[in-house]
Amino acid sequence: MPPPDQKAGISSHDEALISALPPYRSGDPAGPVDKRQASRANAGMSWQPEIDEIRRRKTLALRQGGEAAIARQHAKGKLSVRERIDALLDDGSFDEIGPGAGVSTRGENGELLNFSPANFVLGFGKINGRRVVVGGEDFTMKGGSPSAAGLRKSIYTEDVALKYRVPLVRLHEGAGGSVGGAGGPSLPSPVFDRARFKSVAQCMAQVPVAAAAMGAVAGLPAGRLVSSHFSVMSKSTAQVLTAGPAVVERAMGEKKTKDELGGAQIHTKNGTVDNGAEEERECLVQIRQFLTYMPDNVWSTAPVSACDDRVDRREDALVDLVPRDRRRAFDMRKGLELILDQGSFFEMGKGYGRSQITGLARLNGQPVGIWANDGRHLAGSMTADGAHKARRFMELCETFTLPIISFVDEPGFMIGSKAEKEATIRHGSTAVLTAALTTVPWASVMVRRSFGVAQAAHYGPDSLVLAWPSAESGPLPVEGGVAIAFRREIAAAPDPDAKRRELEEMLAARQSPFPRAEALSVHDLIDPRDTRQMLCRWIDRVQPLLPALTGPTGFSVRP
Amino acid sequence: MTKIILETGGSVWKTLVKQGDIVAEGDTLFILEVMKMEVPYEAPIAGKVAQLLIGEGDVVEEDQVVAEIDPA
Repeated sequence: MPPPDQKAGISSHDEALISALPPYRSGDPAGPVDKRQASRANAGMSWQPEIDEIRRRKTLALRQGGEAAIARQHAKGKLSVRERIDALLDDGSFDEIGPGAGVSTRGENGELLNFSPANFVLGFGKINGRRVVVGGEDFTMKGGSPSAAGLRKSIYTEDVALKYRVPLVRLHEGAGGSVGGAGGPSLPSPVFDRARFKSVAQCMAQVPVAAAAMGAVAGLPAGRLVSSHFSVMSKSTAQVLTAGPAVVERAMGEKKTKDELGGAQIHTKNGTVDNGAEEERECLVQIRQFLTYMPDNVWSTAPVSACDDRVDRREDALVDLVPRDRRRAFDMRKGLELILDQGSFFEMGKGYGRSQITGLARLNGQPVGIWANDGRHLAGSMTADGAHKARRFMELCETFTLPIISFVDEPGFMIGSKAEKEATIRHGSTAVLTAALTTVPWASVMVRRSFGVAQAAHYGPDSLVLAWPSAESGPLPVEGGVAIAFRREIAAAPDPDAKRRELEEMLAARQSPFPRAEALSVHDLIDPRDTRQMLCRWIDRVQPLLPALTGPTGFSVRP
Repeated sequence: MTKIILETGGSVWKTLVKQGDIVAEGDTLFILEVMKMEVPYEAPIAGKVAQLLIGEGDVVEEDQVVAEIDPA
C-alpha cells in the first residue's frame, strides 16, 4: 500500500480531515448539496463540496429539458442536440464550451435544488480528425428559443470559430426571440453594443460554415441557417420559416401548416437551403462530406486525399455521351461521374436553378469546384435562379481557393416574358462579372454549346480551355440567329422552312471547334476520353500556385 | 413498381413504348420537348410498362408521375 501522501496529490493531513466527514451521498448526484456538509468541509480547507456541486451541475445540465422532453423529441424522429453533436463528431472528441452556463435554483439554506442549462450547446470537436466548432439550439428547453445564457453561447459560436480559424457547424432547431424576452426585466442593449451579425458575416469570409435544419427553424436561427456555405434540411422533420404559422395567420390571414409554409418541398427548390436529406443523420453525413473538400480557413488550402483512381483512366462511354443530333439532350452528370475521381462528386443545390449543376469533387485527390450545364432543364440556359446559384458557387470556390472546372453546354440566358420578369439579365450579368473577378485557377471544357453573354460566366480569367468535337460556339445559337439575320432571305424563298434549315446547317458548320483550335481560341481540341488525364495534369500544374492564392478574397460569399 | 417522375416540365414529343411493353434497362420510354431540346427518359430498370399516363402532345409538369414499370 502506497503512503497516503502519494494518493492523487492529497496530503495525509487532508485525507484525515476528509475521512472524519459524514459520507457523501454519491448515489444521488443531482441531489441537493447539504449546506452543513459544505461548511464542515470548508472548515477543513477542502473544496470538495464545491467540486461535488460542479459535478452535480454538469449531471443536471446533461438532462437538458428532462426525460419527457427528450422522449417527445425521439417520438418525432428527432435527436436531442447532444445526440446530434455526438453523431456528427468523431467518437469522444466533443470538448464543450460553457457547460456550466444556465440558471440554478437554491433552497432556503442555499443548497442547490436544480440547475437548468443554457439551451444552446457549444464546443470544439473533430470531424475526420480535423478540428471544428459545433453549436446548436436545445429544442427540449423553451423550444430552442434562446434563454439568456443560451443566447450568449449562441452569439459566442461565431467568435470561437473566427478566433481559432476552424470550420463552423451549426445544427439548428428552434425559434427566434420571444416578445417576452430572454429572461427577467433587463435594460435594452446599449448603443455601443457590437453589431450582432458582424461575426456571422465574418465567418462567411474566413472559415467554412455548414448548417443543418433538423426541426422547425424559425426567425433568427433560420437567418443563421442560410448564412452558411452549405446548408441541408431534413425532409422528414425540418421546416424553415421566416415566421411560423401563428404569426403568418395573424399578420396575413393566411392559414398554413409549418410544412406547407416551409417544408423541404419549398426550400430545396428555391435556394433557401442547398440540399435535402431524408432524415437528421443524413444531414450530418452530408455536412461531414462537405467539410472534406474544405480547407480549415481561407488562409490554408484544402486537404489533398490519396487517390486510387488512375489519372489516365479513359472511358469509352464519353465518345457518344453527346448525341450528334443537336436537339437531343444528354445526361451531363453521367459524364461528370466518368471524368472525376470515382464517387467524389458531391452535388450542392440540385433542386433549384436546375439548368446549372454545381458541386464539389476531386481530381487525383485535389478538391475542386465543378460547374456544368444540364441541358435537360430549360435547355441548360442561364435562368435568374441558375445565375444566383452559380454566383454563390463561384464565390465559395474563390473564398476557399478551390480550382473551378466548368463543363460548358450553355445556350445563353433564358429568354421570354417569364425570364424578363425575373430580371434574368441582371442576375446573369452578376454571374458573368463574378467569374471575371475570380483569381483561382479555372479549366473550362467545351462539351457542347457555348453561346451569348452567358457563356462568359463559364470561363474564368486565363481558363485552360479544352474543346470536345461536339463543341459549338458563337454569339448565339444558329436557330435563333438565322431567323433574325436572314429574315428577308428566308421569307423570299419558295420554301422558307427548307431555306431556314439549309442556312442553319451551313452556319452550324462554322461554329465547329476545328477553326477555334487552329486560331488558338482553345488550348486543345481533345478526344473526350482524354478529359480526365488532361484535367489531372492541369491540377498537377496549378496545385503549387494555390498557397499563394489563399487569404481573404476581394469579395465574400453572400447568402 | 418503379415510378417515372418528370424532372422538368415541357411537352411530350414522342412516346416509344406503350402499356404492357417489355423494356430493358436503359431503353428510351418517351422523349419530352423542353425549350426546343429533346429530353429522353430511359427505363431505370428492366420490366413491363404497367402504366403510361402520357400521350404525344401532352403538356407535362415537373414532378408529374408519367409511367410505372413492374420489375422483370
